[in-house]
Amino acid sequence: MNFTQAFKMAAKSISANKGRSALTMLGVIIGLAAVIILVSYAQGQNMAMRAYYESMGTNTINVSASSYRGDVDIGGALYDYCLQLDDLVVGVSPTGYLYSDPTIKFGSKTISRQWQSMGGGAMMSTGQYPNLILGNDKYGLCNDYVIAQGRDLSYLDVEKESKVCVLGSAVAEELFGFADPVDKTITVNGTPFRVIGVYESKSGTINVGGGEDAQWIKDSINRQDYIILFPSTMTRLFNNNQPIDQYIIKAKDAEALKEVTTLVNGFLAGFISQDNGYYYIDNPTNYQNEQAEADKLQQRFLGGIAAISLLVGGIGIMNIMLVTVTERTREIGIRKAIGAERKSIIVQFLIEAAMICGIGGIFGILAGYLGTLIVGKMSFQTILLPSAGITVGAFLISVALGIVFGLYPAVKASGLQPVEALRAD
Amino acid sequence: MLIDIKDLYKIYHEGQESEVRALDGVTLQIDRGEFVAIIGQSGSGKSTLMNILGCLDIPTYGDYHLDGTDVTELTDKQLAHIRNKQIGFIFQGYNLIPALNARENVELPLIYQGVGMGQRHDRALEALERVDMADRAGHIPSEMSGGQQQRVAIARAIAARPPIIMADEPTGALDSKTGRQVLEILHSLHADGTTIILITHDNGIAATAERIVRLSDGKIVADGTREEVGL
Repeated sequence: MNFTQAFKMAAKSISANKGRSALTMLGVIIGLAAVIILVSYAQGQNMAMRAYYESMGTNTINVSASSYRGDVDIGGALYDYCLQLDDLVVGVSPTGYLYSDPTIKFGSKTISRQWQSMGGGAMMSTGQYPNLILGNDKYGLCNDYVIAQGRDLSYLDVEKESKVCVLGSAVAEELFGFADPVDKTITVNGTPFRVIGVYESKSGTINVGGGEDAQWIKDSINRQDYIILFPSTMTRLFNNNQPIDQYIIKAKDAEALKEVTTLVNGFLAGFISQDNGYYYIDNPTNYQNEQAEADKLQQRFLGGIAAISLLVGGIGIMNIMLVTVTERTREIGIRKAIGAERKSIIVQFLIEAAMICGIGGIFGILAGYLGTLIVGKMSFQTILLPSAGITVGAFLISVALGIVFGLYPAVKASGLQPVEALRAD
Repeated sequence: MLIDIKDLYKIYHEGQESEVRALDGVTLQIDRGEFVAIIGQSGSGKSTLMNILGCLDIPTYGDYHLDGTDVTELTDKQLAHIRNKQIGFIFQGYNLIPALNARENVELPLIYQGVGMGQRHDRALEALERVDMADRAGHIPSEMSGGQQQRVAIARAIAARPPIIMADEPTGALDSKTGRQVLEILHSLHADGTTIILITHDNGIAATAERIVRLSDGKIVADGTREEVGL
């Protein structure tokens, strides 16, 4: 007996017992759909978190360092030190913030901080106000910004204290709409600044996907489009020439980052003592690793639940196959009397079980896709689809389930003496 | 000698108080081309004998040579091959597979022989024609009368063209008219050279055989022609 024939026989027997076959499949369908939905859910959530960390820049550390008396130029020293590490470091830039909230104007458009009284003298900022940043020609590079129009800050812009700025895409859109902002002049508290470039939108290039935190992650990424970058030397104009105490350093790769962290730590330790200042190195990669650990834990947990539901489905299959064998003992006797070998009987029942699981698996995958779409829409407001790997894996698992759980009944069926089997009613 | 058994025993619950000797030292030879009826009352051991002759069951003791092969030494797989190629079974209860139609039921032994689909179809239809059931090839057993089902079962038994047909009370569930039709088919198969072993408790049917073996309490008590056995 060949396999094609065995398949036909299995199909025949499945269609002869439609109700029972459908009920058995239901177990597989529910089990598989649960697996697909749970795993997709976890992946969706992880994807959002990864996107968030990606948006913050990869292979970077943030250094806060300040001397109490402001008499040591830590920024300059750190900058010079990092330039020496040019085989490890891609770029280093100050990350300064403005002490005041200047009003920004272009033509009739105005952006200013809006305050609302909360009663009792408390005030709350309302509406959006951009992040105004003091950086250098490497700020964009360190933070994974890409120039969309015009150019980025240059070394000379910083050195010559040029009154220029680069806009995040959201600021550009608010002030200029669809017009080209490059070489237009905006005013910041009345001081004219020439727009030299516009960054590409980060929210447009980073796929947030789904996730419980998708909304705040999206908001967070959108906020990164809402920036204006000025040369760091504008601290003289905006911040009363206070030194900038935060720096971002971007390393070549994850390995280099580790080395840079150690080196910078050693450098700063030699430079700043407890008496004259402080420093702090913040490594977003650490959060990323923590997040990855948490993701793994969550996936293991969900995987465990999914495995249990599959196991229950599998036991259902075994149960039904055992019933089938008992019910069809006479048929087995007839087949053996006619000359079926033990192997043929085993193969027939195994194929039958695998086929029930395979068909159930296909419906389970469909149900899983549908469920994933619904869960994606409801929890993450996004179109979430299971990955191809999960789909193929789930199908293979369902067929394997049929074979594993069909084996015992099949072996049991094939072992019957023909005369005993023929005696059954 | 096609079938050669010597001192065959089939004992259930051996050594216990409830010991039953279904076959109690049976010695029997059947030649190629014979038409043998095995008769006896119910419980005489005739079905047990047929099950052992048909390799559906194994004896407790004794020798069984089928066409020169010692059957008691064979593996499960080899026995399956013998049942498939050497023997065609006809049962009292027809034993068709309910989910399969007439043609598919008749094809079964050919499937287990590995005969290709086209040839299988042809041979199945040929066998059905032989029993005058070709027009019912597409019907499933529940759509057929008892006599029709038994004729399909005969077609299945002869589809693989085995040299031996074993029929266990083939007319037991049929009225006398359809029973005669079935018997006629068996005789025509015999006329073509097939060895027929027919088990029955109906003396009238047994009387049509050229040789009659009477069993009683697991022993052969008479063996010969109708006259010799006294029917």
